[in-house]
Amino acid sequence: MVVPAMLAMRDIRKSFAGVPANDGISFDVGEGEIHALLGENGAGKTTLMNILYGIYAADSGSIVWRGEVLGGHGPKEAIAQGIGMVHQHFMLVPTLSVSENITLGLKSRGHPFPDRRRLDTDILELSARYGLDVDPAAKVASLSVGERQRVEIMKLLYRDARLLILDEPTAVLTPGETDGLFRVLATCKGQGHSVILITHRISEVLAFADRITVLRDGARVATLEAAGATAAGLSTLMIGRELKSPARRTAPAASLPRSAAGDRAGLEARAISLRPVAGKGLQSVSFSVAPGEIFGIAGVDGNGQKELAECLLGLRIPDSGKLLFGGLPVEGLGPRQRKRRGLAYVSDDRHHDGLVLGFDLAENYLLGKLDDPRFVRFGLVDRKACLRGAGGAIADYHVKTRGPTEEVRLLSGGNQQKLILARELSSGPAIIVAFQPARGLDIGATEFVHERLLERRAAGSSVLLISSDMDELLGLADRLAVLHRGRLSPAYDNDGSLDMMRIGLLMGGQGMAEEACAS
Amino acid sequence: MSDTQGFAALLGELSTFAAASVRMAAPLLIAGLGEAISETAGILNIGLEGIMLSGAFAAFIVAWATQNVWLGIMAGIAGGMLASLLHALLGVGRRADQTITGLALNFLASGLTSYFFLMAFGRTTSLPECPVLPAVEIPLLSSIPFFGPVLFSQNPFVYFAFVATGLVWLLFRRSEWGVILHAAGENPHAADSAGLDVIRTRYVAAAANGCFGGLAGASITLGTLGFFMENVTSGKGYIALVVVILGRRQPFGVALAALLLGAADALQFRMQTGNSGIPSQVFIMFPYLMTVIVLLFSIGKTRDPASLGIPFDRGRR
Repeated sequence: MVVPAMLAMRDIRKSFAGVPANDGISFDVGEGEIHALLGENGAGKTTLMNILYGIYAADSGSIVWRGEVLGGHGPKEAIAQGIGMVHQHFMLVPTLSVSENITLGLKSRGHPFPDRRRLDTDILELSARYGLDVDPAAKVASLSVGERQRVEIMKLLYRDARLLILDEPTAVLTPGETDGLFRVLATCKGQGHSVILITHRISEVLAFADRITVLRDGARVATLEAAGATAAGLSTLMIGRELKSPARRTAPAASLPRSAAGDRAGLEARAISLRPVAGKGLQSVSFSVAPGEIFGIAGVDGNGQKELAECLLGLRIPDSGKLLFGGLPVEGLGPRQRKRRGLAYVSDDRHHDGLVLGFDLAENYLLGKLDDPRFVRFGLVDRKACLRGAGGAIADYHVKTRGPTEEVRLLSGGNQQKLILARELSSGPAIIVAFQPARGLDIGATEFVHERLLERRAAGSSVLLISSDMDELLGLADRLAVLHRGRLSPAYDNDGSLDMMRIGLLMGGQGMAEEACAS
Repeated sequence: MSDTQGFAALLGELSTFAAASVRMAAPLLIAGLGEAISETAGILNIGLEGIMLSGAFAAFIVAWATQNVWLGIMAGIAGGMLASLLHALLGVGRRADQTITGLALNFLASGLTSYFFLMAFGRTTSLPECPVLPAVEIPLLSSIPFFGPVLFSQNPFVYFAFVATGLVWLLFRRSEWGVILHAAGENPHAADSAGLDVIRTRYVAAAANGCFGGLAGASITLGTLGFFMENVTSGKGYIALVVVILGRRQPFGVALAALLLGAADALQFRMQTGNSGIPSQVFIMFPYLMTVIVLLFSIGKTRDPASLGIPFDRGRR
């Protein structure tokens, strides 16, 4: 692009506690361009954009915005200059209305007693122009995640932002909402706005971006035109090596023939219902997972996934329904007894209920093995055996650590997750409930987690994979169903016949009732 | 014949009682409105008792020295603001724990005012007196039967309390400033990223709280008593905190709650003078007992601002 860039960032450096997060990054955005900033977690994408938006000050480097040098600015100045950012965690006030959120911090006509009805009309006009459907009078608390994101974008457009920075905007959206978002961004582009898209999803970048800048370990690896880029090429740039294909097809098929295990499912739920608390419950959820099968449950977070996982683990007691492990009912059994029956659980929130962050690796490893006579005898812990066991797990699962006595909170997210897998999977469980097992992990660690799950599948475990990441489910699951507002759709075989359009609609709740009737 | 006389007497009793309830409610309402502003902006200031006590003392000492009630009121406002801004300096500016700071403020105000009072007057048996703001009968309205004496023959603090309720409602519900206060208390990071100054907003809210709380304190010494003594506010600041929770930080809710607890206080006074033979301490307990009961039934029904009591720090999310 020879046209003078709208934005030019030159040689940006920023360190946190001596660790460089941005190591001399240069970056351009042209007018009316959608520029993707691609990279793994910790590659420095968000730091770079926070510097541009004025949340952090760069240690060195220069920013030229529409021909003028920017520096020492805060978010307020950035907005005034026409730079707007939608953060990963939305910056909305849930108790205020959409309109109040959009005009927050502005001195509207009549300040401090603005004419709300007039502002609402202005907002509706603007939303029609960009195809952003919002109701100005609605309280933000009542909106879905996708709607909240539209409010965030409206906030920027209302402030006349010329450059929109979006930090991982699709992480929280259903496929349908994602398409909607990119339609809106295309409209913005058509009206002369530029967009910076921070993401680690290669497929989106290829479909929607004009140019792509890849960051790795705080440095720029490449900037290329999206037209000539390939998925394989981009992933190699991102992680610095070639990615092994995580596809289920390459893993050996279940060594246990299904007939050998009989008709007995490894894990079966029959009409599990849970009375809704705060709108989240389960309505007659039924499924079965055969040995050597990965059964996927798709859906946007907060549709009963947590409740379902906790029912399986025994933390919650369903109001009705039956739960069978290997054909035997497990009613009345607590988590510990269920684990004795061969259940392993990988939590979606490793900091909350996966690990004790202040404990060292050996102690966290022990948490799952308190019944194991190798480690605990007569109620006393054999510390040496624990250290040995943890040491073995560290080696087997490639946990990067200084040793089994290091505190778990000092590990990276990926290594913490590896430790959980080591603890949960090393005993060869018959049933695995994996709830968002790759959440917040980078590609390398995700690949590792997926390989372990496929290994267990090959070894004959029944794996239930609950995830909001469609790519993960499509790559791993043999069959999958969609959970929406506590109801589970019928299961679909994950092969060529899978209708993605239908899955996307189900995730948004459309067609759920008919599906349930048809089944 | 005797029936109508009896009815008139009962109505008179009721009207006196209602008037006393309204008078007792005024300091709770004024202080409660201030605290509602503060909490809406995200500052939990349980030092309200200290603010009121500072206001009560400053108002008294200046009114006593100058023999001018209006100067006393101004001093009361200043005293309350000083106490509240001290809390804000620590709990907003230095990000200290707001609950502990509020607690400390209560003890500090209690000790300091008693000490200054002792310094100024020594140990006296006769309490030094200051001028009192007289009740103002509002022409025409005060002659309405029943409502006249209850609502329109009160001291100016009572009138202020009711006008202020409407003004705070306007602030919360109709003005952009109210939106900004809500944003600062609910999601300060959102307010910050919208270019608002969260810290300044909270200081302003704290100043408003001090202004109202100081005035509430002044209303005790200059509105009804005409003198000062140790801990003259006698826990009204704490009751005002209950009023805020009960009224869900909404001005009219706070007003209703203040009237309810004001009535409990008035009832207590009447029963004390009723010669029932029951020790007076039992009756003094009554408003506090009422407070506990009321709190018991309101548990779980209020929703606090999401960032209430959490100091704002831009770097922390």
